[in-house]
Amino acid sequence: MKTLLKWLLWLWISIMIWGAFKYAPLAEGFIGDSSRILFFHVPMAWTSFIAFIAGGVWSARYLFGARDPKHDRAAASAIEVGIVFCILATASGAIWAKVMWGAYWNWDPRQVWITVAILFYAAYLALRSAVPDRDTRRRLSAAYAILGLVVAPFLFFILPRMTGFTLHPEPVINPEGKVEMERRMMHVLILGSIGFNILFFWIHNLRCRLETLFEERADSTAFHGGS
Amino acid sequence: MSHTTSSWLAEAFAVFAKEWRTEFRTRYALNTLGLFAITSLVVVSISLGPLGAATAERTTVMPVLLWVLLLFAVAAGLPRAFVHEEESRTATALRLSATPSALFTGKLLYSWTVVLALELIVTPLFVAMMHLPVANPGLLALALVLGGYGLAAGGTLVAAIIAQARSSGTLFSVLALPVLLPLLVLAIELSRAAIAGDFVPVVPRQLLLYDASVTVAGLLLFPAVWNP
Repeated sequence: MKTLLKWLLWLWISIMIWGAFKYAPLAEGFIGDSSRILFFHVPMAWTSFIAFIAGGVWSARYLFGARDPKHDRAAASAIEVGIVFCILATASGAIWAKVMWGAYWNWDPRQVWITVAILFYAAYLALRSAVPDRDTRRRLSAAYAILGLVVAPFLFFILPRMTGFTLHPEPVINPEGKVEMERRMMHVLILGSIGFNILFFWIHNLRCRLETLFEERADSTAFHGGS
Repeated sequence: MSHTTSSWLAEAFAVFAKEWRTEFRTRYALNTLGLFAITSLVVVSISLGPLGAATAERTTVMPVLLWVLLLFAVAAGLPRAFVHEEESRTATALRLSATPSALFTGKLLYSWTVVLALELIVTPLFVAMMHLPVANPGLLALALVLGGYGLAAGGTLVAAIIAQARSSGTLFSVLALPVLLPLLVLAIELSRAAIAGDFVPVVPRQLLLYDASVTVAGLLLFPAVWNP
C-alpha cells in the first residue's frame, strides 16, 4: 500500500513536470520561457508557508497542551523541511528575477520577508542545537516558534507597504479574490501545489520517524542529552 | 494560585526595584551599554559627521546608524537580565517567589528604563556630534520611547529563552534580530520622518501594534519559558 502511494506521488509529480513544459502555454509579457518557473516556484513558496504554520501549530500544541514529545518532533521536522522548500523558492525566484528584472536580488518586499523568515527559522534550529537538555530544548524552541508567528504579520502586511511598490507578479490568491490565469496554467499549478504538499508531508513523516529513532538511540547509549 | 491585581503589581514593582538595586551595586548595564554606544558613536561621527556627509545624506543615513547602534548596545547588555540569574543561581529563588507574568513585567520595565536612559544619553550626543537638524523633536522622542519599548520587550523575552541555553551571548543576537527587525524598520522610518519633517501618522500606530503584540506574546509565552 505504501509503495503504491509512493509510485502514485511519483506519477503525479511527473505529470506535473510534463505539464509545466508541454501542456501549459507561456504567460504573456514574460521573457522567453521564464513564466514556467511559476509551476515550481509558487507551490514551493506555498508549501514552505504551510510548513511554517504547521510548525507553529505543533509548537503551540506542545507548549500549551500535554507536552507530548511527538508534537515537538513534528514541529521541528516541519520547520526543517520548510526551510528547504523556502530556500528552493527563494533560489528559483532569484533566477527568475535575473531573467525578468535583470538582477538576482533587489529587495523586493517578498524578498525581504522570505529572507527574514529563513533567518528566523535558521535561528530556531540554532536554538535547538544550543540547549543540551531535551525537555528544556522542546520548551524554549516551541516558545520561539510561536513568537515567530506573532511577528510574521508585520513582515507580511506592514513592511511591504512601507517599501512602497512590488515588481512581483500578482499572487494567485490576491486581495481582490480574482484569478487571472489561463486555464491550462491553473491546472498545472493546482497539480503542483497538491503534489508538493504531499511530498512535504511524506518527507516530514520520514523526518519525524528519524528524529524518534535518534532520541531512542540517545536514550539507550549516550550519557548526555537524555532527560 | 489566586492573586489580586494589587499584589501582582506589587510583585512586578518589587522585581523592577530589585533589578535597579542590583544594577546600582555594579552599574554593569549602564556602564557597558553607555560606553559601547558612545564609542561607536565617536567612530560614526569621525567618519560621517559634519565633514563626512552632506545634510541630505545624513537625514537618511543617521536614523539607521542610530538604531543599529541602539540594537547592538541592547544586544550587549540586555541578555544579562536573565543570564545573570542563571549564573548566580538566583533563578530558582525567583521561580519560587514570583508569579511568572509579574516577573516578566518587572524585568521588562527594568529593561525599558535602561534603554530609555541609554537613549537619553546617546541621542542628544548623536544629534550634536552629527550636526543633525531635527525638524520634529517630539516625534523623534516618540520614536525613541515606542521603539525602545519594543527593543526591551522583544529583548527581554529572547533573553529569557537564551538564558537556559549554552553560549547564550552570541545566541541572543541570532535569535533577537529576526524578531526585532520589523520594529527596527518601523522605528527607523519614524525617526527619519522626525528628522526630515514628513510625518506619516500610520507608522506610530504600527509601532504601537508591534509593542502590544510582543507584550501579549511575552506574557503568554514567558511562564512556559521560565518554569521547567
